[in-house]
Amino acid sequence: MGYAAGKKPPVVSKPPAVLKTDSSVIKTRSFNEHALETYRKAPEFQYHDVEVQTSLWTRFWRWFWNWVAQLFSSLKVDGHKSFFDLVLLFFEYLIIVLALGAIIFMILKLVGIDMFNVLRRKPVAADIPYSESLENIHEINFDTELDKAINQQNYRLAVRMLYLKCLKQLSDSQLIDWQPDKTNSIYINELVNPEQRDSFKLLTRQFEYIWYGEFTIDSPTFNNIHSLFRNFRNGKA
Amino acid sequence: MEDEIFEQRTDLSRLTTAVAQIRESLSQIIVGQHDSIDLLIAGILADGHILIEGVPGVAKTLTAKLIAKSIDAKYSRIQFTPDLMPSDILGTSVFSPKTTEFEFKHGPIFGNIVLIDEINRAPAKTQSALFEVMEERQLTIDGKTYKMDEPFIVLATQNPVEHEGTYRLPEAQLDRFLFKIEIQYPSLDEEIQILTQQHQQKTVDQLSSIKPVLSIQDIISIRQVVKGLHVEDKLLVFTAKIIHESRNNKSLYLGGSPRASLAIINAAKAFAAINGRDFVTPDDIIRATAPVLRHRIMLTPDKEMEGVTPDDVVAQIIQKIEVPR
Repeated sequence: MGYAAGKKPPVVSKPPAVLKTDSSVIKTRSFNEHALETYRKAPEFQYHDVEVQTSLWTRFWRWFWNWVAQLFSSLKVDGHKSFFDLVLLFFEYLIIVLALGAIIFMILKLVGIDMFNVLRRKPVAADIPYSESLENIHEINFDTELDKAINQQNYRLAVRMLYLKCLKQLSDSQLIDWQPDKTNSIYINELVNPEQRDSFKLLTRQFEYIWYGEFTIDSPTFNNIHSLFRNFRNGKA
Repeated sequence: MEDEIFEQRTDLSRLTTAVAQIRESLSQIIVGQHDSIDLLIAGILADGHILIEGVPGVAKTLTAKLIAKSIDAKYSRIQFTPDLMPSDILGTSVFSPKTTEFEFKHGPIFGNIVLIDEINRAPAKTQSALFEVMEERQLTIDGKTYKMDEPFIVLATQNPVEHEGTYRLPEAQLDRFLFKIEIQYPSLDEEIQILTQQHQQKTVDQLSSIKPVLSIQDIISIRQVVKGLHVEDKLLVFTAKIIHESRNNKSLYLGGSPRASLAIINAAKAFAAINGRDFVTPDDIIRATAPVLRHRIMLTPDKEMEGVTPDDVVAQIIQKIEVPR
């Protein structure tokens, strides 16, 4: 659509531009001073700065956060800091991290969370939900308990008392090392004197038959066993 | 003296005689390993399956074979290999052109005493095939249930898991074994005795001289007697405390299951019977605890790295529990 060489485009004629003027009247308005005064006196627009008393705790935290902000502002390394400044900066942050770690550790300790087990699959160990029911042989009054059991004709319990008393005497004589987790056979093996060991083995067998085996015993049988325990105690067995 | 005072409530004479005979005949071939042989006998009396672990060459398979030979029952042996399929063990249905029906061909698992040699050479898929038969003494194939004949005992041997070409058995399967017996190297004296026996060619002759001591009926009736032995209530609590402690022990990731508590009581009854008692003592329970728990419990990774063994932890657990007296 271009024009051929040497040919001029046609001339377009336009009407002349006309400048329009604003002929509206300007009316000046002013504030109603009376209304303004009324608003100023209204209590809703009375602003007073109330001075709040800050507690020691609040001031401590304000100081702490200002201190932290100062530390962070010094982090902006501008390239002109010396190596010594950077080392100081590193130690400052190290102290912060350690302090935060110590706080978290103390909180977790107070709450009772075992941090070493938190990430493990194993649940935290629970206490065994029953109390140890057995007596310490060093705290039993054997003579009283034995008399009581014999009077009640509870010969099974009486044999138990005789056996526990025997263990206590062996422990007091340091012939055995009494421990709650040891079985009777361990005590037999702890006895060094062969005769004593054989006698104690016999007493143990009888105790086990009566106590664990729940064999019933009558008065004459108990008297037999009682005399065996007595002989062992007196060193005759 | 105690025999004069206490008369046995249960007749254990047949059992104690048989145990003495088995011990005697096995001791002619197996040097040492008295504790392992007692555990094997106790396991059979307690109606349990037994896993025997040891490094190659410590007579695991021989011990299991001799025990099986002491009982007059149907014996079968399966050598576990990495390419073994479940149907190779259990059996499979085969089409019979004669009857134009599928007929079930029984696998080698159908026996009274099944020796599975090197059980941990087969992968988990094959091991899973044993779950039902070991626990329920029955097999369900193609919708049909087959009951195993009594007694049904699986004696399995395995190399330690660290050895080449072995897999760790699934926990569910391990829990089905009553005991895991660890066979140790013989002492110097025992080693010399083994060499002397071999040199004099005694072993070969004696191997064929092993005669069955117990019949199937004997085993069934002895098991009934063992089941009925007396356990005092405090000893049940003692066992429960041991298992409970294993579940809360910080060295363990996995503790003992309720099946483990039952296993301890059953095994303790068997130990009591072997010792000629018709009641259980704390010693029986403690003796049963380590072989019952050692393959059921799992150590935490850090304890494993420290070189702590399951037996160490079991000993610690027992130390924490007061013996009822």
